[in-house]
Amino acid sequence: MRDTYIFLGVLLLFAAVNIGLVANGTLAADWTGLGIIVAAGMTLALYSFLYKDNPLFKFAEHVFVGVAAAYVFGQTWYPTLYGELIAEWTDPGEGETPNWWLLAPTVLGLLMLTRFSLRFGWLSRYAFAFFVGLAAGWTIPRYISSFILAQIEPTLQPLTWSLEGLNLLVVLVGVIGVLVYFFFSVEHTGTAGHISKVGIWFLMISFGASFGYTIMARISLLIGRVTFLLDDWLHLM
Amino acid sequence: MIFLSRTLPLVIAFAFGMLGVIGYYVPHGDAQSLEREMALWMRIVFAFSYLLGLYSLLNLHWQRIRQRVAGWAYSLIAILSFAVMMVFVVYNDGLGPFTAQAEAGGYKWLFDNIQVSCASTMFSILAFFIASAAYRTFRARTPEAAVLLIAAVIVMLGRVPIGRELSDFFPIATDWLLNVPNLAAKRGILLGVSLGAIATSLRIIFGIERSYLGGGAE
Amino acid sequence: MMHKLLAIDRRIIFALVFLSVAGPLLAGISLPITPTNEVKAAYDQFEKLDAGDIVLVSFSYGASTQPEMLPMSRAMLRHAFRRDLKVVAICLWPEAPGLAQQVLEEMTAEFDLEYGVDYAFMGYKPGNFSVILNMGQDFHSAFPQDQWGAETGDLDLTRGLRSLRDFDLVLDLAAGDSIEFWWIPYGQEKYGFTFVAGCTAVMAPDLYPFLDSGQLGGLLGGLAGAAEYETLIDRRGSASTGMSAQSMAHLVIVVFVLMGNIAYFAVRRTSSEQRS
Repeated sequence: MRDTYIFLGVLLLFAAVNIGLVANGTLAADWTGLGIIVAAGMTLALYSFLYKDNPLFKFAEHVFVGVAAAYVFGQTWYPTLYGELIAEWTDPGEGETPNWWLLAPTVLGLLMLTRFSLRFGWLSRYAFAFFVGLAAGWTIPRYISSFILAQIEPTLQPLTWSLEGLNLLVVLVGVIGVLVYFFFSVEHTGTAGHISKVGIWFLMISFGASFGYTIMARISLLIGRVTFLLDDWLHLM
Repeated sequence: MIFLSRTLPLVIAFAFGMLGVIGYYVPHGDAQSLEREMALWMRIVFAFSYLLGLYSLLNLHWQRIRQRVAGWAYSLIAILSFAVMMVFVVYNDGLGPFTAQAEAGGYKWLFDNIQVSCASTMFSILAFFIASAAYRTFRARTPEAAVLLIAAVIVMLGRVPIGRELSDFFPIATDWLLNVPNLAAKRGILLGVSLGAIATSLRIIFGIERSYLGGGAE
Repeated sequence: MMHKLLAIDRRIIFALVFLSVAGPLLAGISLPITPTNEVKAAYDQFEKLDAGDIVLVSFSYGASTQPEMLPMSRAMLRHAFRRDLKVVAICLWPEAPGLAQQVLEEMTAEFDLEYGVDYAFMGYKPGNFSVILNMGQDFHSAFPQDQWGAETGDLDLTRGLRSLRDFDLVLDLAAGDSIEFWWIPYGQEKYGFTFVAGCTAVMAPDLYPFLDSGQLGGLLGGLAGAAEYETLIDRRGSASTGMSAQSMAHLVIVVFVLMGNIAYFAVRRTSSEQRS
């Protein structure tokens, strides 16, 4: 019962604030103004989760899911499914012949959609085999070149008696330590155990840095939303 | 039937996998044209995968409505929101679905005011929970945990202006932590991940790894 | 006392976090911002370009990270247009077109740009790394039309573009793994273009190996990176304004961590004393 009163109170307050903002001209009485009110409402509805899980939060969450799914459909339909396939065959442009080769990936794409059929689901395997096989083939040479060779080269530089040389040595030790730590074919005892222990220390520093940056990222998002509420909606900044 | 449902997909994966590898090493014009065509095909197939995801999402909510499971009304809201947005996406500011996408219109209004605000708010909620979790669980129980904690605190202070105001130590230490030990650990992880990805790719091409075929009797 | 401190209602923590962000924003506190080497390197890559050079900007982020990514998108595009560089914008995330459109409209208003000559907006193509591979082989094959349906061959800016080699710089604004797992292996590795990135703070530590190897020519990490870039181009924006709130929130969380540890060890010590 208490929560119902809180819910109604917040709703009334939100309505009163918006009426006030529109009445004194802070928010325009048009689609732009309404957009800001809707965005503020959705933002506050989602933040209500901080008090406790509630219907308002769930409502906003599900509205978001529906809208996002349809938007993504639009971004797939207009430039690719229509723009590159349907338009290519129905309206290829003056003096141009349609590219019928595009039927092949279209058929593969349509086969993918049989995945949920009990009877024809096996047909989707052709699409996945093409997709996964080709991606695997592309991966091998590029990962060797971009990640393995390109990353080993700066690690194995001549060491010098300088701060840079010392840092280079630390990097080398760290890389070896981490690689040994993730190499599970050898039991981590004796020398391998000591080296993998060094790897753990490097990983801990790295995870610490990542944790610090993760906090930074989340706070940045919060700043964005609070700025929206205080500035765009309430015009307090 | 076994040939069509199991062997042929493995043959396709092998053929296209080899095509992918060879295309990289053969600089001949035809090989490059083939790679271009394959990339185009991949893009098209990828586009259809969104439809698969969309069907999966809508079907999930539809089943929840049909079976009247707890909270089914929210699934109805998701489907209704989808339908409303779809109307605007298809209407396309009066241009209809068989042309390029319009620059403005109802779909853009819903995107700007609902999708953008909801998505960023959802993720920003984590700021509160991460702060609460840091207070309750981020403990220096072991030497390793202490190192993690100290590194996190240094980076948190070293990457914002107040850290420099407190002491020059924070930005300098942050710089070193990121460029030396962090770099070493990330490089080690990257090398491990790459070797793993290459091994998995080889297993896929040679038909050892078959999980992508999915379940089923055949 | 210490037990009570450990069992504090989480909503009090939430309120303090909110106040640490809202307070400095309302008070309008401003702190000096010093650019880091990674951000300076990104800035320098733009400075090296000549007027008329073409920059490919890839919007690889979605709505969920918009508060982090929008300020850096604005700052970097502003820098590009200020230097009379030409910009070709593409999207590799399905939510990105709406976000990219907003920034480009802002820039058009600010710099009086002509569409198709000063910039072009090619929109979104599904396919992640395969789009990059496709662009590398044939830009027109990957983007036969722009976002609004105009033929790529009909726009002055994009008519002559054949491959990724034709770009003087590639900038990826990313919230996922597109920098290291799409652009570097499928684009930069083969075509060798100058590559600069802006990313969410979560991703930034993962990219240091690429800065070290030279595969990445500069990096902006999160809102702090954007604020540093705003400082370099001498134009304060929303990122710089947000840095006081960012600082205060970090300080509050560090205090939480320290308090939590002090309380934890005090309780543990008391418990072990009572046991013995």
